[in-house]
Amino acid sequence: MDRFIDSIEWIAAIFVGVVAADVFISITLRYFFGIQIPDAYDFGQLLLGILIFWGIAATSYRGTHITVDLVYANIPPAWQRAMDVFATLVLLFVVSVQTYTLFDKVVATREANLQTFDLRLPVWPFFALAWIGDLAAVLLIAVRTYRLIFHPELMRKPDELTRAVE
Amino acid sequence: MSADAVAVIGFVSLFVLMLLRVPVGMAMGLVGVSGFAYLTSGGPALKIVGHTTMRTVTDFNFAVVPLFLLMGAFATTSGMSRELFRAANAFLGHLRGGLGIATIAACGGFAAICGSSVATAATFSKVAYPEMRRFGYPQSFATGVIAAGGTLGIMIPPSTVFAIYGLITEQDVGKLFIAGIVPGLLAISMYMVTITLIGYARPGFLPAGQPTPWNERLSALKDIWATLLLFSFVIGGLYGGLFTATEAAGAGAGGAFLIGLARRKLTGPDILRALLETTRVTAAVFTILIGALLFGYFLTITQTPQKVTAFLTGLGIGSYGVLTLIMLMYLVLGCLMDALAMIILTVPIIFPVIKELGFDPIWFGVIIVMTVELGLIHPPVGMNIFVIKSVIEDAKISTIFYGVMPFIVTDILRLIILIAFPIIALWLPSRM
Repeated sequence: MDRFIDSIEWIAAIFVGVVAADVFISITLRYFFGIQIPDAYDFGQLLLGILIFWGIAATSYRGTHITVDLVYANIPPAWQRAMDVFATLVLLFVVSVQTYTLFDKVVATREANLQTFDLRLPVWPFFALAWIGDLAAVLLIAVRTYRLIFHPELMRKPDELTRAVE
Repeated sequence: MSADAVAVIGFVSLFVLMLLRVPVGMAMGLVGVSGFAYLTSGGPALKIVGHTTMRTVTDFNFAVVPLFLLMGAFATTSGMSRELFRAANAFLGHLRGGLGIATIAACGGFAAICGSSVATAATFSKVAYPEMRRFGYPQSFATGVIAAGGTLGIMIPPSTVFAIYGLITEQDVGKLFIAGIVPGLLAISMYMVTITLIGYARPGFLPAGQPTPWNERLSALKDIWATLLLFSFVIGGLYGGLFTATEAAGAGAGGAFLIGLARRKLTGPDILRALLETTRVTAAVFTILIGALLFGYFLTITQTPQKVTAFLTGLGIGSYGVLTLIMLMYLVLGCLMDALAMIILTVPIIFPVIKELGFDPIWFGVIIVMTVELGLIHPPVGMNIFVIKSVIEDAKISTIFYGVMPFIVTDILRLIILIAFPIIALWLPSRM
């Protein structure tokens, strides 16, 4: 499971690199060679959407969202765990609703036959890929909730993954 | 139930959820959509969730956030901070409190290629702190200087906070970045003066180092070409109208990557770590952005911004009185929450008030960033203080707060100067 979660984060990280490369190469080609990459702008924004949802999946699992820790930092560990469980359940509810509504958006985009500006590629597969990231978020948050309740010792800190890279 | 009552319940629920450690963005989204659904109906409320979420994550203007974060991450991992500190120390280290002054100068230089205060503070906790301690600087002073120097990260462009403020308020992000330059330089100068004054007020408290020979100074200076090149490329391109903010961020990320590779300072694991860190922060920031936009529908339907504007302008305390109240609110909120979260949550409500009072939006952007900077270092929960504590484990929180006190006074003084003389922030963007 941990390897699966790491893979999700790596997918998002790779998309960050791809978006940066898309913008950098497109600027370089435009300013220095007068060449325009077809759909560079559309690809950039669609890839951005994909990276955000896959990134949110990993961030939600690792509990590295931006939170207010004023109360949390001043209560005993047992209460902290209860608070973690509550917050994760709310997160699970919100992201589930979001995933449900986003599916509608993917379907609506497909039905509207929305296309990219230059290459006339259908947009919906990009939206679908982003949606899969959101679905992964639901799955990972469910796993997080289960682990927080039954196996809190399995919850790795985000720094451990960074150290694993080193 | 009236819209006003729903608005009050909404805000109370939001703060309760946040205090229960529900992620800020998720809390905003949940309260916003629930409130909107209550006042309209469930169908339209669910429609806006899918539509707004997808619109936000595919808005290319927002790509400025991950791209500048990536630029900062490449700059950090390729060791530019160490080179800046070495150069600053070579020129300033012989002064009384010189290592502290050099730390501020290096933080300022690093801020020019990294838009994050937390990253700046964390980096210099590793780079400058051991040196200051080796030369006998008190722990309180050493950590206080790093905490204050770290705040420069969000004032000197590129700055993620300026970018987010610009995107929310539909102001020119490039102009905001340029507006941060002179106040940023003023901050550097005032911090340096503060250290000098401490040095003269308490002789023996801050030792002076040995002067560095000129050949070593020039050698240290040669190493910072990469930082200068990157800053000139990104901010020069923005100022000259060559790039949009997103393009500048992409050019910066690509530039930092190529420079790191060319100097053999970026290895495979470094690149992966930079990408991973960028992903985590980006996902966290976008969660708040999505939540804030959903919450925005709730604000619109309850007419909260208009009512807050009418209330504040009706107090009869004048425009500067209202501005003081707003800044006090930010200082209090700074005790509770992250800088970005605070701006994303409050600016949609406060910004109409600022416009109504006739203040310049670009100038207010600078003021709000300065106020948020203060929140990063003032007790009880300045974010930079905790970041430094996480790196320098033997430093007590109270020691760091003690060390940062003179710089808080300096920051308040600088805020007053910027309010009295808006031209300091507005002159440079007016030349664009």
